[in-house]
Amino acid sequence: MRTKQEDLIRYSDGSLYCELADIWIDPSKPVKRALITHAHFDHFTFGCEEYISTNETAILLKERVGDNIKIKTFEYGEEFKINGIKISFHPSGHILGSSQIRFIFAEEKWLISGDFKLQKDETCKQYEIVKTDYLISECTFGLPIFKWDESNKIANDISKWITNSPEKTSLLFCYSLGKAQRLLNEISQTNFKGNIYSHGSIHKMNNSYRELGIDIKDTIKIENKKKIDELKGSLILLPPSLSKGSYLKNCKNIQTAFASGWMSIRALRKRSGYDKGFAISDHADWDGILEVVKHSEAKNIFFHHGDSEALSKYLVEKESINVLLFGK
Amino acid sequence: MSLKKFSELFGDLDSINSTNNKIEVLKRYFLSNEPIDNSWAIYLLTGKSNKRFISGRYLKNLFSQIYEYPQWLIDTCYLKVGDSAEVITLLLKNKTTSINKELSNISLNELLSETIPALAKLTEEEKNLEIKNLWETLPEDNHLIFNKILTGTFRVGVSIGLITKSISKLINIDEEIISHRLMGDFKPSIDSYEFLINKNINLQELNSKPFPFLLANTIEDKIFKNSINDFQFEWKYDGIRMQLIKRSGNVSLWTRGQELVNESFPELVEKMSYIKDDFVLDGELLVWNLKEQIAFDFSLLQKRINRKSPTRSIQIKYPIIFIAYDLLEINGKDIREIKLENRRIELEKYFSKWQHKTENNISDIFKICDLIYPKDWSDALTYKEKSRENNTEGLIIKKKTSTYSSGRKKGIWWKYKVDPMQLDAVLIYAKGGSGRRAGLYTDYSFALWKDQELIKFASAYSGLTNIEIKELDKWIRKNTIEKFGPVRSLKPEMVFEISFEKIQISKRHKSGIAVRFPRITKWRKDKKINDADSLENAYELMKKIS
Repeated sequence: MRTKQEDLIRYSDGSLYCELADIWIDPSKPVKRALITHAHFDHFTFGCEEYISTNETAILLKERVGDNIKIKTFEYGEEFKINGIKISFHPSGHILGSSQIRFIFAEEKWLISGDFKLQKDETCKQYEIVKTDYLISECTFGLPIFKWDESNKIANDISKWITNSPEKTSLLFCYSLGKAQRLLNEISQTNFKGNIYSHGSIHKMNNSYRELGIDIKDTIKIENKKKIDELKGSLILLPPSLSKGSYLKNCKNIQTAFASGWMSIRALRKRSGYDKGFAISDHADWDGILEVVKHSEAKNIFFHHGDSEALSKYLVEKESINVLLFGK
Repeated sequence: MSLKKFSELFGDLDSINSTNNKIEVLKRYFLSNEPIDNSWAIYLLTGKSNKRFISGRYLKNLFSQIYEYPQWLIDTCYLKVGDSAEVITLLLKNKTTSINKELSNISLNELLSETIPALAKLTEEEKNLEIKNLWETLPEDNHLIFNKILTGTFRVGVSIGLITKSISKLINIDEEIISHRLMGDFKPSIDSYEFLINKNINLQELNSKPFPFLLANTIEDKIFKNSINDFQFEWKYDGIRMQLIKRSGNVSLWTRGQELVNESFPELVEKMSYIKDDFVLDGELLVWNLKEQIAFDFSLLQKRINRKSPTRSIQIKYPIIFIAYDLLEINGKDIREIKLENRRIELEKYFSKWQHKTENNISDIFKICDLIYPKDWSDALTYKEKSRENNTEGLIIKKKTSTYSSGRKKGIWWKYKVDPMQLDAVLIYAKGGSGRRAGLYTDYSFALWKDQELIKFASAYSGLTNIEIKELDKWIRKNTIEKFGPVRSLKPEMVFEISFEKIQISKRHKSGIAVRFPRITKWRKDKKINDADSLENAYELMKKIS
């Protein structure tokens, strides 16, 4: 097994770091140079001197945090060099602009999967298979109990859920960037033809998607939360942060649901406090992770973002793949 | 047709929080399905029987065998999900190969009265093959229900009360009647469903059934403002709550869990059949110390509960008694609408008659409860404090003018329980919870000091709020010393106040003591582990009580 000194990319302070290029990937604290895989806030931190991302990620980030950051952008597949290391972004299918990042140095390929999914999603580019020697993969849903249904089936379930309670306002909680737009795209293809409202944070992202050429159904921005109770038979998209606290305090005529991969488990659904859960995720399920491992042809794999113990053991035992642990 | 509908009903009930909506969904279900399927649905939803055809472990092994899945991987998944039937359901996804037309239309009745019972008659090999076949041909939406029924773990957030309300609304008949109709044995059949929804009330038909039990509420402060003379006071016994019924000469013993337990207590059935009148008595079954006229500990009663046809020597070793505290029916006449104080007069009158007129001696196995007469509320408190001396749990306070209705009705009966015993103990092990608490560490073990060592003395699962559970779960993950399967040993650092009802010597435990109903009553963040109690403190507590 290699020692950490030899690794092109290693884990340091909770983030991935390439020492040769002195570059961090989605760092959690301010650094000189940061590669950003996608525009979700848990992959971004303020205060870096320079950010590098895809064009879409840059635009989404600026929309969320303001123009006051310095971002250099590259197209998918476009190679750039830092200290002799060839770096390129490739679509990861997670959300609009999301990417895997490949490093090539001295004939050796390293691939950071970023957050990814293989499932159909018309609001972003499809996951691209990239061959590599070393794969650093996320494994948020790295257990075989996670198997996603087709997204149009979930959308139909959502549509039924709304239309079965015409006397109520249906509140669907989902991440405002990515998940919300994917759901809008899917729901607009179902039988549900009622009004769709969205919270300001989601509305803003819808506009950004549209500006980037993604066709998203028009929604009405929620201006006055007091009216929520009166929007019978309508769907409202809200960010999960609003499910707790006082936002919905006076709403009586509502039903709530949460759209997340975790909702496939009954105990988590029950504990979540929502009436209903829809298991739809922008991360790969078990089969998805295995497929990526296989198609990447990687001989060595690292996992992060998730409980990788079972997945690693499975790959070692059943597939004879070399799973490594980041040197601690 | 209707297994699919039942699966949908389960999904709906599982995701609706409002009681009214649940009732609507149930009503709609009953209206749109066959009586026989409705009957099975009620049988499942009320938890009348949770027969286990195969164990969760068997189910997991079978899956592992058929699909060549490593057992450890299934176990890891289980820790996240907390229910074997659900784990297998999730793992089975996309394994349905050929949906058999016939099976996609299978009814709840066919599944429960034919398909599943047929499994029991097969050899193990045939059974395994058949389960595989069912897994691969039943539509995926039905897997959860199928696996849950197989493993006897079907449960959903619906109470008997809710089913009662739905049926009551469905046919516009008083809940009390429906509740009575649902008591006792319920054999799924067209007849049993028709009986349930019959709009004509015929009390004769309810003959074999116990009345719905009236339950006591926890004491409320406002009661102390009332005159003490408005209430009847009894000791709160720690036994089995029971209705003793004699109708048309036949004696039946029904527990509050609606089980007929005649076979466990044949001596009581025999002696009560000597009495000439018919009656329904509400009371408590206890193992009784005749000499001292107090109840033995509940642990002795446990020796009798699950033993059918006990031998003569068991009957002598653990002598039982039925203590009646209420008379509900006498010679076919329902007197539940009469005031309690008058029912008590009737009870005393008949008891005295039975004692003197019955040929065989019944007084060693049957008595009526003594009443207590506190002068005022502070006197009542004194009685309550003394209750441990006669092995009772406190007092039951009943409004003299109350009628006997059903359920936990407010403002009629109260329990005034003796304060629990408490010790401060150190958290030393945690285990993953199951069911709703899957994926969180919610089963805790606590220790007391013995010299310089911490000795485990109790396990507890309840008492923390959901927020505290999450906080403690986080702490547990960060402060684990060692993992043994699902159990983690922890850095001794956290102190909790543990409350319990009873404490006694136990040779089975390393600590030498056993406590009853241990639960967490406070997270003592203010205390260091050196402030926790010792085993010596526990022994002192035990001495003080006996």
